[in-house]
Amino acid sequence: MDTSALNNPQLQQLINQEKERAMANEMIAKLTSACWDKCITGTPGSKFSSSESSCLSNCAQRYMDMSIMIVKRFQSMQ
Amino acid sequence: MDSFSSPSSSSPSSQMSAEDFMDQLKVQLAQAYAEEFLETVRGKCFEKCITKPGSSLSGGESSCISRCVDRYIEATGIISRSLFNAQR
Repeated sequence: MDTSALNNPQLQQLINQEKERAMANEMIAKLTSACWDKCITGTPGSKFSSSESSCLSNCAQRYMDMSIMIVKRFQSMQ
Repeated sequence: MDSFSSPSSSSPSSQMSAEDFMDQLKVQLAQAYAEEFLETVRGKCFEKCITKPGSSLSGGESSCISRCVDRYIEATGIISRSLFNAQR
C-alpha cells in the first residue's frame, strides 16, 4: 500500500479534525452513560420529568467542574 | 489512464486520493460510533425494561424499550448541549 499521501500536511489536518470530533463524541457517549445511571432511576417514561432533565444537564456540568478541580489539585501537589 | 478511471485517482490500485481516504475514514468512524451507541442502548434498556425474562417480550416490555431508546437519544442531546454551553 502506498502511504506517501499520509505525509500531506493538509490531509494530516483533516485527519486531526476527525480525531477531535471522534474524541468529543466519545466524551459525550461516556458522560451520557454515566449520567443516565445517576439520573434516570426508574422506568423510562414517555418524556423526562423536569428533575430528570435538569439532573442530566447538571451532571455534565458538574463533571466538567470536577475535571478542572482535579487538575488544579494535581498541580498544587507538584 | 483509461477512460473509466475516476478523475480523483491518479494511478490504479495502490494509490488512493486524499478525498477518497477522508470519505472512507468518515464512513468507518460513523459506523464504529453507531455500533458503540447501539451496544450502549441495548445494555441500558435491557437493564431497565427486562427485569424478569419470560418466554417472549410482553407488551409492557416492548413499550418500555421504545420509550427507553427515545429517552436515551434525548439524554445524549441534553448532555451534548450542556457540555457545549459550559464551554463559553
